[in-house]
Amino acid sequence: MKKLFALLLALVMVFSLIACGSQSGEGGNEGEGGNEGEGGKTGEPSSIAVCLASEPDTIDPALNSAVDGATLIAHLFSGLAKWAQDDSGKLVIVADAAKELVEGVENPDGTVTYTYTLRDGLKWSDGKDVTAQDFEFAWKRAASEELGADYGYMFEVVDGYNEGNLNVKAIDEKTLEVTLYNAVSYWNELLAFPTYFPVREDVVANESWATDPSTYICNGAYTMTGWDHNSVITLEKNPNYVDADQILMDKIEFYLSDDENNMVANFKNGTWLLIDGVPTNEMATLKADYPDEFKVAGQIGTYYVCWNINEDILPADSGLTGVEAEMARAEIRNAISLLFDRNYIVEEIGQAGQVPASSFVAMGMTNPDGTEFYQTAGHNDGFAGYYNVDKSAIESNFNQAIEVLKKYYNYDEATGKFTNFPSMTYLYNTSEGHKAIGEYLQAQLSLVGISMELQNQEWNTFLQTRKNGDYSIARNGWLADYSDPICFLDMWTTGSGNNDVQFGKGAHADAKCYNLDLTDLGYDIKVENGSWAETYDVLIKTIKTCTDNNVRYELMHRAEDLLMSTGCICPLYFYTDTYMISKTVHGFFSNPLGYKYFMYCTVDK
Amino acid sequence: MNSKTLFYILKRILLAILTVWIVITVTFFVMHAVPGGPFMSEKAITASAQKALEAKYGLDKPLLEQYGTYLKDIVTKFDFGPSLKQRGRVVVDIIMDGMKTSVKLGVIAAVIAGVLGIVLGAVAALRRNKLIDKIIMVVTTAFVSMPSFIIGSLLLVIFTIQVPIFPANGALKGGLVLPIITLSLYPMAYITRLTRSSMLDVLGQDYIRTAKAKGVSGPKIIFGHALKNSLIPVITYFGPMLAYIVTGSLVVERIFAVPGIGKAFVKSITDRDYPMIMGTTIILAILIVIMNLVSDILYKIVDPRINLE
Repeated sequence: MKKLFALLLALVMVFSLIACGSQSGEGGNEGEGGNEGEGGKTGEPSSIAVCLASEPDTIDPALNSAVDGATLIAHLFSGLAKWAQDDSGKLVIVADAAKELVEGVENPDGTVTYTYTLRDGLKWSDGKDVTAQDFEFAWKRAASEELGADYGYMFEVVDGYNEGNLNVKAIDEKTLEVTLYNAVSYWNELLAFPTYFPVREDVVANESWATDPSTYICNGAYTMTGWDHNSVITLEKNPNYVDADQILMDKIEFYLSDDENNMVANFKNGTWLLIDGVPTNEMATLKADYPDEFKVAGQIGTYYVCWNINEDILPADSGLTGVEAEMARAEIRNAISLLFDRNYIVEEIGQAGQVPASSFVAMGMTNPDGTEFYQTAGHNDGFAGYYNVDKSAIESNFNQAIEVLKKYYNYDEATGKFTNFPSMTYLYNTSEGHKAIGEYLQAQLSLVGISMELQNQEWNTFLQTRKNGDYSIARNGWLADYSDPICFLDMWTTGSGNNDVQFGKGAHADAKCYNLDLTDLGYDIKVENGSWAETYDVLIKTIKTCTDNNVRYELMHRAEDLLMSTGCICPLYFYTDTYMISKTVHGFFSNPLGYKYFMYCTVDK
Repeated sequence: MNSKTLFYILKRILLAILTVWIVITVTFFVMHAVPGGPFMSEKAITASAQKALEAKYGLDKPLLEQYGTYLKDIVTKFDFGPSLKQRGRVVVDIIMDGMKTSVKLGVIAAVIAGVLGIVLGAVAALRRNKLIDKIIMVVTTAFVSMPSFIIGSLLLVIFTIQVPIFPANGALKGGLVLPIITLSLYPMAYITRLTRSSMLDVLGQDYIRTAKAKGVSGPKIIFGHALKNSLIPVITYFGPMLAYIVTGSLVVERIFAVPGIGKAFVKSITDRDYPMIMGTTIILAILIVIMNLVSDILYKIVDPRINLE
């Protein structure tokens, strides 16, 4: 009988435990609700809870290379410049810690020097003054090889980067002088980039400074007051911030989760007011059910398929070798690009408002005259880019591709299939979306008798395989780091660490089949039948030292022409950023790089 | 406890240490054999920066030397090293953060599963073929066959969106209730079925009949004789189950945004965060080994007839 009693007691305890949990749960919810929606008007602190992604690997401004990390850092730090919305709602770069964003002064050797004066009253969150020395230290640290930051190369425009000694110095506590190799049009944007934010030497001497609120000394609109690992990061208004009176939101809670279904649940029940992720299979329903909350923002990036340039796709008996073979392969690859219907991929698979792509440099980049870079790419009449991706052109594209391929492969007119196209393997990283796209590409190719197997690899292995060039065709994607086309183009130079296509490497190093003529732009550069290194690499180098913006953009268009002529890049669509935001939130904005800004938000009751 | 039992326990502990050592060794070399690396990123860093990082973390040394250093640090200092991906954090801290939640989740779920499972199983056995038995059997069959991601998703939709009585986030107060329920349903159902069949078996034994014939009261037969003996299979199941719940809750962690160890474990592998992979593997291996050991010893205590050798 005693045992029965003990058992019952244990049961009661377990149930009371559950009951307690649920009660405190409700209490917790009420607390949440009570805090929201004051907008700072009644003196009660305002707060907002959002979810962007899971736990960031780091929120050290120099080490971070993730978009969600950048959003956190943009709230916590203040660089020389920042992203803001002007009165008309347009995104602009404005001075932040600097008094003004000065023009550079050109030196006799062509380098350009900028001298910034810091505003008065800049403080770190622990009350110490922010000095020009802090900027000098932070920049040198971020660019250093010892730190090995993913974004160390963001300083490559600064004089001395190549020698490992940045030409930046603090003249006095308030004056920072920096010299660039040459003027670049995106310099102010770089100043607003997290890698360029200041950190203090004594703070970062502690290697784990950026993992704990108590050691996380920052100088931005907010301070980190809590980091419950894998759960939530809490930011509260920094009273030491020089523009603290302009910050409307008192407290931001960044919940850390990357399960999109969970995000939607928390959005639907009102716990999170913004979620930066929507499950693809629920996209259509959510779009219909939440027309005002479901947002599609532009994101500067391209989803594409890349070929290994050294993969031989010619039939065994083609008889072509060397340069001729390379030219033939380029033509074949370009023809295969025409077999795919990008509208189908975007509408049926992607479903997030992506834009069919016909060029590599993504939508969102603008020419000096304000027109879209991708609209003027390819110099074609009647359509933008290197091929027509309009729905009306699908059939003619397809037929055109067949005609080209017929030159190299045996074509069976009766079945409409090629009979001697070597089989290929398409490599992608494990994901339902990538798989669906791979299957679509596979189906299109099999229509014309080309067999392509699908092979998926886990992310890290995939990166290694693609980087080593151990593939024939692979899924690829690139997101811009700043709004200048060069960040899409300089990755394809021979020595670049992101040169997955293997341009200028292996057998391709000897393929002398490219032309470069820049004499019409005033350069003494004319190469006929040059290798990749003699043409593309030279062109990129020229772009990087060009100071006339109009010429520079013309050069970048030519670089893209050359790149696309190889057929190794087959763009599919331009990325978008889909997120959901509650109707009660006002004053929110995000920038083209996907950073989200909550400091000027208010929340309705 | 006699000296034989003590000797047995000692032997088992030594075996456990050997097991953990084998796990460490195999994991260490397999992990380094897998392509990719901790500094692999879509935005590639320069070759020299990569070299600098490798030198900093000792990854440039010969593999055997790295292995030796690692073992030494573990044994002498219990030092699992720094995380290569979450720069500035040490592996022990990250694991402790995750274990805090996972252990809480796992233990509560296991206790609920154990208590409810045994009670329901006993009830079903004693009321064999009655309505209550049939209901219990149908329900437990359902729970045993439904994977946790389905139960979890269902609970999520019902109790956080349609009737929002619980938050859909493990970080909020009360946020662990649904994950605990999700985690406990399968083992509870399993234990119910285990207890029922084992109890039916025991109830048919001669000594129960003898007890009945001697006029021992119903509850005394059940709680004094039948239940204890029918729990033997449950105990063998319980240890590994607890380890499984604590470590294998990845799916549930994802569904309810619970900050547990499962996610850290999987992420460490994708990241090739070598010290994190080693750390999580070792901790989980130790956990499983201990659980097995405990359940074997309990086994012996409940049933002295069992010969441990």
